[in-house]
Amino acid sequence: MLEFLRRNRVILASGSLLLISLLLLSTGARGRQRTDPLTGVVLDGMKPLQRATVASIQAVTGLWRSYVDLVGVKQENAKLRRRIVELEQQAVRLSEVEQTDKRLEELLQMRSMLEGDLLVANIVGRDPMPWFSTLVIDKGEGDGVHRNAAVLSPFGVVGQVMTTGAHAARVLLLTDHNSGIDAVVQRSRARGIVEGGLDGHCVMKYLKRGEDVEVGDRIVTSGLDGIFPKGIMVGEVTRVTRGNRGLLQLADIKPSVPLDRIEEVLVTRGSVQLKELPQVTPTPGQGPGAGR
Amino acid sequence: MHGAILLMTTAVTALLLQTTLLPLTALGRATPDLLLIICVYLGLHHHSVRGAFGAFVLGYLQDMFSGSVVGLNTFAMCLVFTLVYLTSRSLWVDNVLSKIVLVFLASVLKTTAVLVLIAAFMSSAHLWQSVANYLVLEALLAAAVSPAMFAVLAHTQQLAVAEEG
Repeated sequence: MLEFLRRNRVILASGSLLLISLLLLSTGARGRQRTDPLTGVVLDGMKPLQRATVASIQAVTGLWRSYVDLVGVKQENAKLRRRIVELEQQAVRLSEVEQTDKRLEELLQMRSMLEGDLLVANIVGRDPMPWFSTLVIDKGEGDGVHRNAAVLSPFGVVGQVMTTGAHAARVLLLTDHNSGIDAVVQRSRARGIVEGGLDGHCVMKYLKRGEDVEVGDRIVTSGLDGIFPKGIMVGEVTRVTRGNRGLLQLADIKPSVPLDRIEEVLVTRGSVQLKELPQVTPTPGQGPGAGR
Repeated sequence: MHGAILLMTTAVTALLLQTTLLPLTALGRATPDLLLIICVYLGLHHHSVRGAFGAFVLGYLQDMFSGSVVGLNTFAMCLVFTLVYLTSRSLWVDNVLSKIVLVFLASVLKTTAVLVLIAAFMSSAHLWQSVANYLVLEALLAAAVSPAMFAVLAHTQQLAVAEEG
């Protein structure tokens, strides 16, 4: 018997412990024993160890997370900065597109008011000399542009073509001293010649002294020179000069077109007539009076 | 005695890891059962009443720190110890691969025992399903970690033998 017990002590011990476990389980499952005092002691004993372990893990994970976050923040920062630059460039491009769209719409409106063949051209250059007033457009003989063709904008007369190339042309602006446009005072129909003056202004000459011309009067093309269609806006009278003697009077004209800010123009190809007077209102910063 | 203390220390460390670090790295809710690996080690290398009692303590510790009823894991651990003890007496289980397979099977056995006991003693159907879902995954995780655990346990026993010697 003792020998049997000695040889099988491990199996007997295991079996006993299995039975004890079952007993504990059945007691616990019936609800009589939810926690025993030993559990509380062990839990209390393990608490400081668990606390220390958790604190260490949190310190390490916190460090790692901070590092990863920093790296992530740095990368995200760089990415966002690039995105900001892209968006700013896009905003500038969009704004530019909007402005171009607006200008082209005005040109189209102007074109619809004229009968005849017209060509849209872009201004690609300006006169480098301060005492001449010309500009270069990107259309020439090859596109149907001829010498002396009228050049217009939605705000009025720009000038006329003075020289042409195959795909470019030089335009003499109405403010150049070599320019001369046959025009009338819209209100009184007094007729004169608008010539280029100084500082971007024009002068209306050969007005008879008795003609009714006042400051604020609008000057439009007469259509009698065979170049410009009748009724196109030239500018506004800013001063009237009558000498003590003489038969004529002079009127200073401020051009209606902001010549230093236009970017597209209409060039006539052949005879062009106005269907009705242009009713374009200059946008702020672009019309007469802008830049004063 | 020294060996028992070292083994107990290893068990407490394993319990600490199972209650703090391993839940953070769990796959779903599955974590490797480090105490089970210690139990299998006891069944393989400690053919004594102390080994059986050690398995009992391991199971009891697990019950104290989990939400289960006391006795559930205790019974399962004792069962695992007994079967591993009997297997090691009949079969040669000494290379790494066989130990890994043994741990896998022990984990399956333990989880199955727990499921049977839950079905027999408790009316928690959802708990049954929850345990069954992770049966294979937990067994695989335990098997994967077992070589490292066995190496640590073997090292602690060598230390104990060296100090006693």
